[in-house]
Amino acid sequence: MPPSDALLAALDAHLREMDAGQSGGTADLLRALRQAVDDGQIEQAADTLRRAIVPSLDYTTALTLSRLQREFGGRLAQSGEVVRIAVLSSFTASQLVRLVELFLFAAGVRCEIYQAEYGVFRQEVLDEGSELYRFRPRFLFLATSWRDLGHLPELSADAEAVNGLLDRELGSWAHLWHRAHARLQCQVIQNNFDAPAWRVLGNHEPRHPASRGRFMSRMNGRLVESAPPYVTIHDIDHLSALAGRWQWSDERFYHHAKLPCAPEFLVDYAHSVSSLIASQLGLGKKCLVLDLDNTLWGGVIGDDGLGGIRLGQGDGEGEAYQSFQRYVLDLGRRGVILAVCSKNEEATAREVFEKHTEMILRLPDIACFVANWQDKATNVRTIATRLNIGLNSMVFVDDNPMERSIVRRLVPEVAVPEMPEDPTGFVRALERHRYFQTVALNQEDLQRTEMYRANVERESAEASASNLDDFLRSLAMTARVAPIGAANLERATQLINRSNQFNLTTRRYSTGEIMQRVDDPNWLTLTVSLADRFGDNGLISVVMARGADGVLSIDTWIMSCRVLKRGVELFVLNRLARAASERGWSLLRGAYIPTAKNIIVRDHYEGLGFALVGPADNGGTLWELRLDTGWQETAVHIGEA
Amino acid sequence: MDGLHDQVQDVFRRVFGDDALVIQEATTADDVPGWDSLMHINLIIAMEKRFGVKFATAEIARLKEEGQNVGILLTVLGSKLSRLKT
Repeated sequence: MPPSDALLAALDAHLREMDAGQSGGTADLLRALRQAVDDGQIEQAADTLRRAIVPSLDYTTALTLSRLQREFGGRLAQSGEVVRIAVLSSFTASQLVRLVELFLFAAGVRCEIYQAEYGVFRQEVLDEGSELYRFRPRFLFLATSWRDLGHLPELSADAEAVNGLLDRELGSWAHLWHRAHARLQCQVIQNNFDAPAWRVLGNHEPRHPASRGRFMSRMNGRLVESAPPYVTIHDIDHLSALAGRWQWSDERFYHHAKLPCAPEFLVDYAHSVSSLIASQLGLGKKCLVLDLDNTLWGGVIGDDGLGGIRLGQGDGEGEAYQSFQRYVLDLGRRGVILAVCSKNEEATAREVFEKHTEMILRLPDIACFVANWQDKATNVRTIATRLNIGLNSMVFVDDNPMERSIVRRLVPEVAVPEMPEDPTGFVRALERHRYFQTVALNQEDLQRTEMYRANVERESAEASASNLDDFLRSLAMTARVAPIGAANLERATQLINRSNQFNLTTRRYSTGEIMQRVDDPNWLTLTVSLADRFGDNGLISVVMARGADGVLSIDTWIMSCRVLKRGVELFVLNRLARAASERGWSLLRGAYIPTAKNIIVRDHYEGLGFALVGPADNGGTLWELRLDTGWQETAVHIGEA
Repeated sequence: MDGLHDQVQDVFRRVFGDDALVIQEATTADDVPGWDSLMHINLIIAMEKRFGVKFATAEIARLKEEGQNVGILLTVLGSKLSRLKT
């Protein structure tokens, strides 16, 4: 059941107010939420509360919503695993931790947070008997500030001495990461250093070899250069710059209460940290769905025509639309899938992309183009189906508050940011949500739009092929098979932590845990990359399995949904069987553990000829396949590169 | 001062999440459940945002000390607001 009109109206008003930087209007939202809870509409209330938690919240409102989240907490039972997060800080972190919890709730993450006494972060990591090691977090957040730098040079130090101090500074942090990771295999999130507003050398600060400013900026550079994959450097220096350094470092609250920054900015700080955690849990967004009229250009193409819309040079507003397009194109180039959802005649809408000389975005940049007169909620669903992505990985951008409201109401999974009326504010409106946060960029990301567009072409080829077999043969598929290793670790980790649909067990692993398995001779890891005549799909499947006593147990089997029904599963099975036989393991065993999203693989093992042998964890099923009693490989239309 | 009292009371209600909270000039931190040092900061921030004023570091500390009450807060706030007007 969708949320009630009262809830949605209150949500719309709340988001509008927060976007406008107003405060104090949460009363209506709180009332509507409490009413919904009293009426037994717990899920609707939870859903509305989640969507009310945006980075533009002011501090007092954020804490009010946090109180509500905790109050309803027990009743808003969320599914999924509990993510354990340890926060070790050099400052008072209680408010920050509360707000991190709030934003993770908004992202749909259940978390348990351990917060050590402030100032003892080194002891916690170095003492093997500390609470940190009993807690066993999956994420360890080292919440430090510039005041934790331990090796600042004297102004008189020479370049060589400064280099030595930099090495020692970096070494002291790297030591903590290494110690924590070696024992916990956790992902570490380490703040970089937020430059203070004041500089005793003034303009000369960045140039003098031994100045604090120069040391800190070099140190920040060294952090990102030397951090291993299991360490994420959280760019708090950027947060400070965004806020304005004097505003950020409201020293009253440092001196009075040891707060790391002005309380007002703790909200954005927490959102930033949470977005890193959510991204690593596979909850980042993948696709930007764009309206056209008054979103990508000024005016209405159907009324104003090619010459009448405002876009491009010579007009301030027209240039602002162009800047927004350039930003969107850059998002596309870094791996965000771009889609168009517009109320227009399709030919009229496409013509702008083909013929308007000031357009930055062109048709090949758009993976899925939908322009018609249907309602946008239906069209957003169509786009999700065509691209084969989840609704919760989509962001819907529209200048029209009515359309935003309709999509919020009818497709609640989709993120719908408030957009200002002035196109100059569009980039900021999107940026502040950190929808597309990532901790690594790989080859697949850089080619994603191309891949999804090739997929749409494949689909039309499939429609015209006389049968599936002919179609698959016509694809001329070739696979590259490799174990997980340095070259594909990032992408493999990304698939393991983000795939929800074609994922038999939905077990999430950190880079460290994956490398442990790779290095263990009893474990077998396998990745498949697939190319065909339409293009390269990149790395699309990962398997991790453990062999013991003649049995190869499949721990993880994941495939990207964009290569469904191409015979990749059979290809992988053939390879697994071969590898197992070579090592004397004659039985394959695999489990299907159901989640809300992986129904698509419920019959996976049955389809591959496995026999059901019993139940598995969490209501799952356990399957086996004997390889030594006449089992034979099934031929597939996939060659090996 | 009555108008200011009501506005301050509103801020208290929001910060403490209690729509029925009533404050008087004699109310001290000990009289309001949950008014600890963290809540004190939340209160200061909410006041500053609501009234567009800034408290000095010494004032932030002093307003929470023994012997202080809402009456003193109202006086401090009132004098800041009157300085804003002139």
